[in-house]
Amino acid sequence: MDLAKKVLQGDEKSAARLISMIEEGGDEGHRAISLLFPHTGKAHIIGVTGTPGAGKSTLINKLAVNFAGKGKKVGIIAVDPTSSKDNGALLGDRLRMRDAEKTEGIFIRSMANRGYPGGISQATAGAVYVLEALGKEIIMVETVGAGQTDMQIYFLCNTIITILTPDYGDEIQLMKAGLLETGDIVAINKTDNIRAEDISTDIAAYICQTKTKGWQTPVLTVQAKEGSGIESLIDAINAHFVYLNKNTHGKDLKKEKLKILMFALLKEEIWKNALNAWAGDKRFEGIVKKLQKREIDPYAAARKALKITGL
Amino acid sequence: MHEKSIKVLIAKPGLDGHDRGAKVVSHALKEAGMEVIYSGLHKTIDQIVRIALQEDVDIIGLSIMTGAHIPIVEKLMKKMREEDIIGKTVFVGGVIPAKDVSKLKGLGVAGVFPGGTPLSETIEFIKTHMKKA
Repeated sequence: MDLAKKVLQGDEKSAARLISMIEEGGDEGHRAISLLFPHTGKAHIIGVTGTPGAGKSTLINKLAVNFAGKGKKVGIIAVDPTSSKDNGALLGDRLRMRDAEKTEGIFIRSMANRGYPGGISQATAGAVYVLEALGKEIIMVETVGAGQTDMQIYFLCNTIITILTPDYGDEIQLMKAGLLETGDIVAINKTDNIRAEDISTDIAAYICQTKTKGWQTPVLTVQAKEGSGIESLIDAINAHFVYLNKNTHGKDLKKEKLKILMFALLKEEIWKNALNAWAGDKRFEGIVKKLQKREIDPYAAARKALKITGL
Repeated sequence: MHEKSIKVLIAKPGLDGHDRGAKVVSHALKEAGMEVIYSGLHKTIDQIVRIALQEDVDIIGLSIMTGAHIPIVEKLMKKMREEDIIGKTVFVGGVIPAKDVSKLKGLGVAGVFPGGTPLSETIEFIKTHMKKA
């Protein structure tokens, strides 16, 4: 295929077009991924997650420019939410990536999540493969920013940076599942806050309690806007990549993540097929009517509906 | 979930520091179901074309309040030709005197929406234009 070939030759325009085709979900885009996938697997895929306003885009901007300054080829994928009300999306992450935007060789692509759960979009994995085939060695993926449930990114990326700010809440937030257990590195941003030092000590202490072996999650303080703390963060990112590549656990984890990513896509495929099977099916409409009349409960209705699909 | 979505770039070229209008239009287009990328202030033509290329947008909207719309559009069209993305639709909004509308269209701009144009008109223009494309 022409487009895939051009991407492998480093053509940005073809990469951009191909990402759109993958977003549209047609066969052509998926055929191109099949051609590109064998050329992937070596880049360092870095996920950046955290609550809205924590400074994810600003931090990525600084990291990208720093990596590029060290001769690395950098790609960025920034995911923002699609409105469930009107299906539109305002993709505003690259606004905070002014320096990266001006730096030659950094490719930034915004994506709307188009209703996909977990902090990324269904096409994000495909976009990562396209950028890697384009020659990018570092690919940073910024999640939607819903925070605690941005879990899909974990399966797509090698290293996850969780960004917190000093006003994250109290220690009960740290005890919850999700955000913190996802992070390989925790970065506390906006450290001009008077509580910053205490907070990083609290978080580091909490992480020490929970992780006894393997990679020890570092807790670093940064000021993303000014760029302070970026060098230490890059050292930690590189150290994590070395850890993954040298360690059997790291290699197994990479394989396991790929399998789980496939499962997530499989769910979407099954759902798509099921929707097709239900469209216009009289039995399905009957189940919905019974549910609405409260003659059948939603759990039983779901199981009955599934039977129609033959799954 | 994966239907073709209209992707729009709303860009602010040059020195003008007022982007209330661009933000209002961006928000309205988002509410009309489009995926909107807002460039932020002070973008050069090279930057705008690069964003349009990387984001593979369907349509580019320029918001210009400085009176420099003619040279800006000339530059944009030249750069788009160089990058071979001339097929993308361009529209312009902002402070545009009536006498310049036909000049802009002559340069290849598909739609001109001076300040005060109802948002519904811009939305309708994009939707109709994208259907034809």
